[in-house]
Amino acid sequence: MPSAVSSFGTTPTLATFLKASKNNSIESGIELLVSLLQRRQIRNSRQCALATAHLLLRVIGQERVRDVQVLIKRVRSVGRRLISAQPREMAVGNIVRRVLGIIREVAEEASAEPESEVASPSSGGMRELHRPALNSTISSFSPLHQSSALPASFHSRFGSGDSSNDSTPLIQSFSDLSLVEQQQQQRPALAAAHAGSLFGLFQQPGSARNTPPVTGTSTPIPSTPTKGKVALNTTTSETIDLKSEILSSIRELLDELDVVDSQIAESALDHIHAGEIILINTSSQTVQRFLAAAARKRKFTVVVAETWPNDHQATHSTIVNGSRPSDGTGEPEESFKPLTALGTTVIMIPDSAVFALMSRINKVILAPHTVLANGSLLAASGSSTIALAARAHRVPVVVLSGIYKLSPVYPFDTAELIEWGDPSKVIDYADGELVDSLTVSNPIFDHVSADLIDLYITNLGGHAPSYLYRIVADHYRPEDVDLMSKA
Amino acid sequence: MADTPNGANGNVPEKKAEPAPAKSVGDDGLTPAEKKKRAKEEKQARRAAEKAGAGTSTAPVTNGVEASNGAVQPVGESSSQAAQQQQPAQVPRAQPRRPVEQAAAPTSTQHGRNPSTATQPPPPRRRNSQSVLPAVPKPASKPPKPKESKDVPLFSHLYAAQPRPTLLTTPKDIHPAIQALGFQYSTYAICGSTARTAAMLLAFKAAIADYTTPTGTSLARHMTTHFLSPQIEFLKACRPISESMGNGIRFLKKAVVEIDPSVDEGEAKAYLRDSIDMFLRERIVVTDRAIATAAVKQIKQNAVVLTYAKSSLVEKTLVEAHEAGTQFKVICVDSRPLYEGRNLARTLGRRGIEVEYTPLSGIAHAMKDATLVLLGARSMLSNGRLVSRVGTASIALHASHADVPVIVLCESVKFTGKVALDSVVLNEIAPPEELLLPDTTPTTTEGEGEGEKVKTLADWRDIPGLQILNLMYDVTPAEYIRMVICEYGSLPPSSVPVVHRLANEGV
Repeated sequence: MPSAVSSFGTTPTLATFLKASKNNSIESGIELLVSLLQRRQIRNSRQCALATAHLLLRVIGQERVRDVQVLIKRVRSVGRRLISAQPREMAVGNIVRRVLGIIREVAEEASAEPESEVASPSSGGMRELHRPALNSTISSFSPLHQSSALPASFHSRFGSGDSSNDSTPLIQSFSDLSLVEQQQQQRPALAAAHAGSLFGLFQQPGSARNTPPVTGTSTPIPSTPTKGKVALNTTTSETIDLKSEILSSIRELLDELDVVDSQIAESALDHIHAGEIILINTSSQTVQRFLAAAARKRKFTVVVAETWPNDHQATHSTIVNGSRPSDGTGEPEESFKPLTALGTTVIMIPDSAVFALMSRINKVILAPHTVLANGSLLAASGSSTIALAARAHRVPVVVLSGIYKLSPVYPFDTAELIEWGDPSKVIDYADGELVDSLTVSNPIFDHVSADLIDLYITNLGGHAPSYLYRIVADHYRPEDVDLMSKA
Repeated sequence: MADTPNGANGNVPEKKAEPAPAKSVGDDGLTPAEKKKRAKEEKQARRAAEKAGAGTSTAPVTNGVEASNGAVQPVGESSSQAAQQQQPAQVPRAQPRRPVEQAAAPTSTQHGRNPSTATQPPPPRRRNSQSVLPAVPKPASKPPKPKESKDVPLFSHLYAAQPRPTLLTTPKDIHPAIQALGFQYSTYAICGSTARTAAMLLAFKAAIADYTTPTGTSLARHMTTHFLSPQIEFLKACRPISESMGNGIRFLKKAVVEIDPSVDEGEAKAYLRDSIDMFLRERIVVTDRAIATAAVKQIKQNAVVLTYAKSSLVEKTLVEAHEAGTQFKVICVDSRPLYEGRNLARTLGRRGIEVEYTPLSGIAHAMKDATLVLLGARSMLSNGRLVSRVGTASIALHASHADVPVIVLCESVKFTGKVALDSVVLNEIAPPEELLLPDTTPTTTEGEGEGEKVKTLADWRDIPGLQILNLMYDVTPAEYIRMVICEYGSLPPSSVPVVHRLANEGV
């Protein structure tokens, strides 16, 4: 995907990264992405997700997968570097966690064959109802931390799958495991595994006694071991299968990132009907594609809030020209015409007029930067005003978001998730008197709480905000939520 | 109308056969006068056809030429006189425009369809000088289609009937002081209803000083209708007037009408001059001082006061509070396109007040720090709602969500007996061009290659279906307002109609 513009002497972007990643070593690729993230030369959630996925593809492709745990550690360490480069760019962390989840899943499936009846039902049940573990700032002694159950391996100890647990076999199993896990530096905490059943309840007190103090969760025991044996040494053929499985799953993830917008747009006709007046803001391409898909069949009106000062130029350009001009990032989604060319009436308003017009609006469509695990979201600044005004007028709010934007992080402090932007967009530095006497603040994001949202439309379909925790559970492993601890 | 209806009927299909009254190519030999006649006949025939029950108007007719003729021609006819000078620019666009126009129903002309489908036209009559019919109309000779209306239909009741006056189009009887004032209004040099009211009354003072009663009539009878009214109409055309201006005008007219005809002119003019001074003093100057003093009591030590755009009363209050020695911080919230908050921030900053400046998009974060919201008003409605600069409602909404008290500072001269339930009923639409970014320029219309010119928003008038809405005011619901401070005291918003009766209607 070479960019049409020569990358020499211009600001590096995602295109530069993708091109460079063909030629250079992994380490320099990581360094390049880290510096792009730090300097905010890669901005969009989607671009960050693409870059991270490509990088991890290369990282795993290069590794010789002898040991799944080592691979997981490697990916975690790369992920840590990327996340610390730009902690507020949550898409990076989401992709790292997805990849880790993929690795774990492939590893479990591979080891599931010999012990199908024990490991797989529990691994199937693993993801049923467990709650994702919480933010790293919660210590393991917090009562919330005890809420997930023990991994399935404890049950695999007991042969026929009889998991009636009292503490004695538990302690035995722990000591057994400690022999097995000499390679592990730390004790596993309560990685979620088997949660669906009530066995989890019985195990919690026992495991609480036995859990040594660790901060946050760490890598769990792999659910592979057959009785007492160190099942970590797999044969070479299995290793190669694992790796190619993992790589093909990551490629599927990349494909998913490519088709996110068109999948979301598939449900457009279900939600947009003739004669509606729809309010949007920002220049989000996902929203534009969604509306374009409906505009081909239906006549409606779109009111666009220009989102000054951070996105107004891009919004003006999108209203007039349609899709963003390709900057060589290799986006396979085709360009689309502006909505006016498809026969839709578009009315542009300044952000201040949102409340004034809300009494005439039928629906609000927002595009988030990140969606958090409790159903709330971080969106472009001005979105919270729109959502509050919509609630005051009883107008439904729909959020369009790919699954890659959904983060398992629970927002305990919403203020620290907000990113701050360039104050010169608000007051030019040339205005010396004002620069001296004023403090200028320009937040880029707003936090919109979950009770203001009526519907999420993702590439998997439509969901209520209260359902998102299940999607999080489906895609991420709780042991991966905290990436910052070195384990 | 010289021609008979019969002739009109027969002329219709003949018209259809030709390309539009081709101004650039005079192949049918019609003079402009004759073309005009034909245009009128067209219209009549069209109206008759419509009445005859032109229900089916959607699908294009079998004869593609006829349809295209029908679609473009009557449209061209109606605008033929007006749009002649636009034709050269419009002509290359006509061709690509048509498919879009025919495909997109809402804004395109409906009457374009009817003649082609309503009644079967009789076989065309031809004159000997005509060429073979039906000639396929060349795109170059198509008349330009009229530009679709760029008014947002929702606010169609608010658009001005005539354009704003310019230096050249000002009527001759406007006093120079009023004329200057009008242009100060339309360029926002004087902005804010208190300032506008005061400026208006001062300009009237100057105009009245130069006024002389014509012989045969008295000042009381002549001045209101023949002198004041044109000036007021001119000011309204420059920018719609606010409630306080309306109350000031009513006061002035009442004062004029009550002058005894026996009083001589010099005395009458002095009386009017003094009345205006008294009005300004009582209802604006002294009132503002009283309100500011009352509001200062609301600013506690270490308060964080949030305000929006620029209100003269809020500015007075903050300056007075600062001079009284209270330590507080101000958050100025601002928005496009007027950037009034910047002026307030500048003034306050010069006085040494600590000011934080944030765009409206940052209101959620700013509201976390705020302890008090002070707002100015354009008017208070009798159902307790506040009419103020657009964006104020969002501020009040966030404040009530965050439990921060909202106090409105408003003189009683701004109270009105009107009511409104939303921001559509009473509002002002400013020219949409004010919303365009200063560095965008329209792209030229030559060279219509698809990928060559990237359009900017400055081309918005050429893009069908695109409208820009520049609202000036919005209506804040009464439940978001904690208190209104006026010269009669501090009241809840529900007491506004009581004070209005008292202050403005004297009851």
